[in-house]
Amino acid sequence: MNNFGVIEVASTKTKNAPGWAYVPDNGPSLAAAALQPVNRKRAARNQTALSLSDVSARQDTKIRKDLEALDRDIHKDANITIPPKPGASRAQNKYTPNVRRILQSQKTFANHLDDYQALLLQAETNPATAAALLNAAQSKAATPTTVARGSPAPSASSATAAATPAIRAPTPTTTPTAPTSKRSAALAKRAAAAAAKEAREAAEKAAAEKAEAEKAAAEEAAAKEAAAKEAAAKEAVKTEPEDPSSGNDVEMKDAPPATTEGAAPSTPDVVVPTQPQAYPADGTILPIYKKAPPTPHPGDTDPLLISHVPPFPSDDELRALLTATPLSYLEARAGWGDDEARYPVRMFCEVCGYWGRVRCIKCGARVCALDCLQAHREECVTRYGL
Amino acid sequence: MAGGAKAKRRSAGPAPPATTLVIDNGANTIKAGFVRDVPEGQSEGNNDQQPAVDGPRIIPNFIARDRHRRTFVGSEFEKCKDFGEMAFRRPVEKGFIVNWEVQKEIWEREFFDTKAPQKCDPSETRLILAEQPNSLPALQAHCDQMVYEEFGFASYYRGIGPSFNAYQDIQGIFRTPRAPDTVPQLPAEVILLIDSGYSHTTVTPILQGRPLQPAIRRLDVGGRLMTNYLTRLLSVRHFDMRNDPYIVNEMKESACYVSLDFKGDLEKTWKGTRGERRQDYLTGGGIAKDYVLPDSHTRFHGVVRDYEPGVSARARKGAISTEDILTLRSERFVVPELLFNPSDIGMRQPGIADLVMQSLSVVPIGLWPSLLANIVVVGGNSLFEGFVQRLQTEIAQRMPDSCTVRVVRPEDPITSTWHGAANFARHEHAAKLVVTKQEYEEHGSGWVAHKFAMGLGVDTCKGACGP
Repeated sequence: MNNFGVIEVASTKTKNAPGWAYVPDNGPSLAAAALQPVNRKRAARNQTALSLSDVSARQDTKIRKDLEALDRDIHKDANITIPPKPGASRAQNKYTPNVRRILQSQKTFANHLDDYQALLLQAETNPATAAALLNAAQSKAATPTTVARGSPAPSASSATAAATPAIRAPTPTTTPTAPTSKRSAALAKRAAAAAAKEAREAAEKAAAEKAEAEKAAAEEAAAKEAAAKEAAAKEAVKTEPEDPSSGNDVEMKDAPPATTEGAAPSTPDVVVPTQPQAYPADGTILPIYKKAPPTPHPGDTDPLLISHVPPFPSDDELRALLTATPLSYLEARAGWGDDEARYPVRMFCEVCGYWGRVRCIKCGARVCALDCLQAHREECVTRYGL
Repeated sequence: MAGGAKAKRRSAGPAPPATTLVIDNGANTIKAGFVRDVPEGQSEGNNDQQPAVDGPRIIPNFIARDRHRRTFVGSEFEKCKDFGEMAFRRPVEKGFIVNWEVQKEIWEREFFDTKAPQKCDPSETRLILAEQPNSLPALQAHCDQMVYEEFGFASYYRGIGPSFNAYQDIQGIFRTPRAPDTVPQLPAEVILLIDSGYSHTTVTPILQGRPLQPAIRRLDVGGRLMTNYLTRLLSVRHFDMRNDPYIVNEMKESACYVSLDFKGDLEKTWKGTRGERRQDYLTGGGIAKDYVLPDSHTRFHGVVRDYEPGVSARARKGAISTEDILTLRSERFVVPELLFNPSDIGMRQPGIADLVMQSLSVVPIGLWPSLLANIVVVGGNSLFEGFVQRLQTEIAQRMPDSCTVRVVRPEDPITSTWHGAANFARHEHAAKLVVTKQEYEEHGSGWVAHKFAMGLGVDTCKGACGP
């Protein structure tokens, strides 16, 4: 091309003009290198096909963008100004500094969330400044250092239990420890995300080992049982007061010690009155069952009919739960557990919404059958080329 | 020392306000009403001039603009007739009040102005405000500052909405058999509350009116996401509805349902592969419905009709009728399905049933039977047909057979939180939790936030739960 001897010197400034632009050329750029490969021989053959990762990356981006779009409040950015009030000439009252700051803030929820995360991050790295910031933001509520309300929790239940022995059914002396160990077994199981049933079985097993040791004490207890029965019945604590089927409840007589020890009292719909040791004493968080126990049933002793409920939560556990500070916004969001990650995600046809049984080679989108594939192709070609 | 002196002065000084304004400030609608103390001379029966509880008014919580660029603030929206191309500006984002500029305008027009429909004098009123759980501390502080410094309420409590639901006769909703003269115990002993609203869905186990904070879980699927999803499906398959969020929302509310047999329903709505004529598709299979879109001249709301094969084809040609008809098929149940399977659109979150399981995993197993037997569902999404039934089935599937699972929806799930909060306002707990303006000025907003976050704490049940 004849430039009449004029040579363009690339400047470091980038100009925006429609269609084309001068771009500062600092060293070899990857894009240019890709356009002009060093080895031009058999270029077409060496061109790599779209790999699986490329396709899945495309899909991930698409899903992310779709979700963002779905999460937005409005399709268009509507900028609606607040209309003036009818009639009243607005006497501009004075705002306090706080109020003025709040009213003038144009922050969105995402901004606030980012601020909060930055604050948390800073709290990890530099607690002192973060504390100062927290105070400034007057957001003490969120500090994870909030003290749980001090209480004589651990000793409370046992102390009250000792104080009110008269109304308690005489139980083996080992009972204060037995439920806790059972509970810890159950807890461990629960932590492993086991079903309630499994947890109960485990507790049963653990207690069976203890059965021998407790047998002597339990027999002694059984001897006193008759005398204490009335008191025990009064003491009975309901596990499931609101149950609709409580009308046909059956009272259970004493099961063999091993079973009663291990498997705790009853199903949701069976109330066992002679198991006071698993329940909290008076003055604890959960109230005492004051209603009359259900009438006894001849089938109560049948081992096949005995049903099980998990051990009652201890007073300490409940206290800890009730006084715990709120989780943060992000902690409260439920994520995928092991279960959800194990199952494949359902795929749907992008055109008609039926199961997505066929995958487009080019973009990885799912369609159901030939009809929809053809409809998809048209869109796919315009987006990604042939 | 100062606190003691203050407390004494307060008890001697003006009596606590007799009127309570109860607000459930939702992302789509505000539920607001008054609760008044009945004067001692009068019994509740012959109180003529003002009822003790002024049922909630449902106020749209947005500024809307129609296509003629007229704007409607809050309850002015009733005057709006033409819902085409509505645009909205909302003060509440993700369930939390973010934009106070707009929220203040709406509150002022509804509660404080001279001609406000629910006029009250904040300096003589107690405010009880329901918020979503797990809010950001900065937003909570903003809310407290606005309430005290700008509006100047005499006293105020900000509590999480789900836990207010416990202050209702829950067993009455369940129809638990009981003696007819039983006085319902408030708050309910134990419930598992699922609140599925406009912004998100939360699961909250509540013990004696106190939420078990570590067990609260949230699923980011709410009414808005479902409306947007329906908009997208319609835009791909029928018309571009992206400028008509209000119309699509109406369509979602009237036509969508939760499928009890997803696979079967999906099978019935498939048109089949090339050249295939499937009988279920042609006849509609009992699922397809015609939705007549509003035309903004004679019809301002859409109408659901039974599917008539051929009608939409004729309408498309414009030969006979001038109606715009959409045939809804799988859209009807695929949209609410997001609540149960959010992974269908690629969200990496569990469905509601698994959300309940995750929440329960934090709670001791001993509480599971009672929580599962008392599941209460509130929020607008629970109005979908089949929602309660599906939820009950899905939760029961994840539990041992011997477990009783009961799921119930109050008569009006949208105002349920408000009614609970109104009962709370008359309960002794409210007096314990409310913070007066004086206390705020003395201790600052950090102290107030802390007090609200601590909630009721633990008290033993000796006195409160006696026979």
